[in-house]
Amino acid sequence: MRKIKKLTALACVLALGTGLFTGCGSSSSSDSKNVTVNIFQFKVEAKAALDKAVKAYEADHKNVTINVETVGGGQDYGAALKTKFASGNEPTIYNIGGPQDTLDWKDKLEDLSNQPWVSKAYTGTLDAVKSDGKLYGMPFDLEGYGFIYNKAIFEKAGIDPSSIKSYDDLEKAVQTLDSQKSQLGIDSVFALPGKETWVTGLHLSNAVLAPELKDGVSAFKAKTIDFEYNGALKKLLDLQIKYAYKPDGTNKSINSVDYSTQVEQKFSLGKVAIIQQGNWIYGTVEGVDKNIAKNMGLLPIPVDGVKDGCIPVGVPMYWAVNKDKDAATKKAAEDFLNWLYTSDKGKQMIIHDFDFIPAFKGYDSSSLQPEDPISKEVLRYSNEKNTIPWVFMGYPTGWGQNQLGADIQKYISGDLSWDQLVQNAKDNWAAARK
Amino acid sequence: MHKRNKNIISLSVITLLSTILGLLFLSPFYIIIVNAFKTKQELFENTLSFPITYTLDNFKEAFNDLDFGNSLFHSLFITVTSVVILIIFSSMAAWMLERTKSKISNIILMMFLASMIIPFQAVMLPLIRLMGQLNLLNVGGIIFMYLGFGASMSIFLYHGFLKSIPKELDEAAMIDGCNKFQTFWYIIFPLLKPISITVAILNTVWIWNDYLLPSLVINNPTTLTIPLKTFFFFGEYTKQWNLALAGLILDIIPVIIFYSFAQKHIIKSVTDGSIK
Amino acid sequence: MKKKHISFWCFLAPVLIAYILVQLVPLITGIYYSFTNWNGIKSNVTWIGIKNYVTALKDPTFTSSFIFTLKFTILSLIVLNCFGFGLALLVTRKSKFNNFLRTIFFMPNLIGGLILGFIWQFIFIQVFSSIGSAIHQHWLLGWLSDGNTGLAGLVIIMAWQMSGYLMVIYIASLENIPSELTEAAEIDGASALQKIKNITIPLVRPAFTVSIFLTLSNSFKLYDQNLSLTAGGPANSTEMLAMNIYNTAFQFNLMGVAQAKAVIFFLVVGAISLTQVYFSKKGEVEV
Repeated sequence: MRKIKKLTALACVLALGTGLFTGCGSSSSSDSKNVTVNIFQFKVEAKAALDKAVKAYEADHKNVTINVETVGGGQDYGAALKTKFASGNEPTIYNIGGPQDTLDWKDKLEDLSNQPWVSKAYTGTLDAVKSDGKLYGMPFDLEGYGFIYNKAIFEKAGIDPSSIKSYDDLEKAVQTLDSQKSQLGIDSVFALPGKETWVTGLHLSNAVLAPELKDGVSAFKAKTIDFEYNGALKKLLDLQIKYAYKPDGTNKSINSVDYSTQVEQKFSLGKVAIIQQGNWIYGTVEGVDKNIAKNMGLLPIPVDGVKDGCIPVGVPMYWAVNKDKDAATKKAAEDFLNWLYTSDKGKQMIIHDFDFIPAFKGYDSSSLQPEDPISKEVLRYSNEKNTIPWVFMGYPTGWGQNQLGADIQKYISGDLSWDQLVQNAKDNWAAARK
Repeated sequence: MHKRNKNIISLSVITLLSTILGLLFLSPFYIIIVNAFKTKQELFENTLSFPITYTLDNFKEAFNDLDFGNSLFHSLFITVTSVVILIIFSSMAAWMLERTKSKISNIILMMFLASMIIPFQAVMLPLIRLMGQLNLLNVGGIIFMYLGFGASMSIFLYHGFLKSIPKELDEAAMIDGCNKFQTFWYIIFPLLKPISITVAILNTVWIWNDYLLPSLVINNPTTLTIPLKTFFFFGEYTKQWNLALAGLILDIIPVIIFYSFAQKHIIKSVTDGSIK
Repeated sequence: MKKKHISFWCFLAPVLIAYILVQLVPLITGIYYSFTNWNGIKSNVTWIGIKNYVTALKDPTFTSSFIFTLKFTILSLIVLNCFGFGLALLVTRKSKFNNFLRTIFFMPNLIGGLILGFIWQFIFIQVFSSIGSAIHQHWLLGWLSDGNTGLAGLVIIMAWQMSGYLMVIYIASLENIPSELTEAAEIDGASALQKIKNITIPLVRPAFTVSIFLTLSNSFKLYDQNLSLTAGGPANSTEMLAMNIYNTAFQFNLMGVAQAKAVIFFLVVGAISLTQVYFSKKGEVEV
């Protein structure tokens, strides 16, 4: 009896003591506790900049160690992330894409509604990662795309880009360029990367589905689509196909053209005049020809029957914080992310090392303007509110690339009629939403 | 006379054939090497020709990006350890299986055969979860996994080869008083030299170049292998060809050196001498 | 008797433990998941019976990738083994160039799967079209833009990469043929072709079994080169089974269905391979 009482007393004292120590530990600022933050991110192109940012942050925050792991080789990030979690080595910071990811990863997402940057985010950039009134993601950056053109070639052909507003204007300009191919030194007007189903199935389709679906979240909820503007999509595809670079002269060979051929081999060497791409290509083009990189312009994708002069701008990926980590680690992670996009050092890196267009306000000073011409254009359209949202973030999983994109490849090679393509698109969407 | 002419003709035909085949096989290497010395622009403009301006920049940059010294060490350590373990344990198992004609050994052999058909993607997630729970997601763990994955093929190769080593040798050794271990190590294993070298070569190549498994298992940025680091030249959609080709050359030089040494040692088997 | 059993298990223990933990347990776990609605992330799943299997069998992409994989495997089997054996014969003659040639033919195997695909993609698209426009050979342009050139492309890169690998296996077996047999045959006046037919091929039978089995299973399971060369395109026309399973799992997030497909895949390939090995082993000669 006595022994047990004694033991119980000892246990209580120990418990209280430990409690006191823990209490002491957390009441003094958590800055003094050593934390490790593990980042698992998807963008190889951002790896070098991120490593630099991490070093700078660690220099000012001696108790924080940040490890960056990047998924390389064009490996599927979604698969790699699932495997990472399955292994038990869960990261602290990772990436999610939009409404579907927010749903899938719900149990592992920390609520970020109270973060200081929330009020600085541009309207509309946070909706895709909101759920049940909570906010689960932080925008990676802003990206915009359209028809990027070579200014020198346009000048030589006597085309004034500001005169191209509607689809008909575009077609005329294309015909002019095509008739002067040899004088301009180009193989063809366009280079259409049929191999990259994200360019056709996601980006191009977005231009014609955005008017119908309104935004990513509504797209995510939509049970069916009417594909009202599919005619405009057909026109845009036909135009690009007709005047595209064809490796062996047949339409079919467009399906072998990939990003590298389109952007590096053709556009960066001045062999084509127009490509459908976005501000992310700057680094690629600059690596081949600095001149062409500095002289690129951006034209909107004209959709018949829809207001002209807008370009699709959206957030490609979001940062997420793992809910199941301890409080100190989560706080350090959130602090790092906030520092990256809102502190002076961080902002400089976002613009000059990451080459990002930030999704946040506060980048007004002249030293914080994007260096490349396309990003400048995207920012201009954004500030003038001439943008349409990225509704493809809300497409059913795999619908855009693996179904619509694949069907577009069949259409390009002449193996599928347009009507069948439209029917498939509608049927597949409805089936996926059941 | 007639026979000599025939011999000369057949010799020249075969020599010609070998030369043409050799050149064909080497042509992609020509593309790789020639383009590794070019600037990115030239790479796209003049893919086939010799570089107009030679540049070593790609190699310098690749060497740095790959943290070559460190990744080389890890690639070497993992590959060599795994291959040695595979050779030792697979040959042991194959010998036991080949000599023991029983239902159990047949079943076990079938099991190993069957596993060569399993697509890795099917077991990827459950495997990683299990290995995570066993705390094997590190260099030691990956060597263990290479044993698990490589054993099947190695056992298969040893098993086939062992058929041609007569059982009389085993029996002679046993009569002389050796136990199983001694019989295996001192008599049988030396005779397996040709196939051991074959097993070594084949396993070395796929382990050295393996990307998927290390990418899932080895997370510590300081213990990455060469293939893991090379993959950072291939991004979401950009492929830094000039760096990737230079990195590739740096990556395969050690294996080429190993292979040229190894296959000089495949000598004719000693058994015909020992049967006499 | 008892001693024999202990040593049996001792010799087998290391590989068995590794094998069970690394392959068997995950496989069985995967099979279990194929009967549930697991989506790869959540921990609690519900049993849904054979629903995933029905979905898998009804999926038209599953059937088409199966047929494509079959076509590829048969082509590979023939091309690779003929090349591999031919090369081995070429480099086991009395010649001082043997080592040099062996290194050259084996070198392609030194390049890993994913990078190999990327490089050949570069060759088929960029290099072929440069050559094609230079010498006006139309068929060299536009490779990989349809299922047929995609299939040819895959077989070519496999032949390039794997012939050396198979050659190494055949070499070990060829060098194992006792020279007295070949010498005796020469004394008896046999021609080169007769020697090959009556001595070499029968004694190399075990190597054939091994190589054919390896080609079969490797071709069926092919993923890395498939991904980097064509990514299954265009329009899924060059999608092989492993890729179809992987995409079902990770791009469509249907983990249960993917596991079901993997099990079906495993059973079919298993049946084919084991049948092949059974019949091949029956015809082998013991020295």
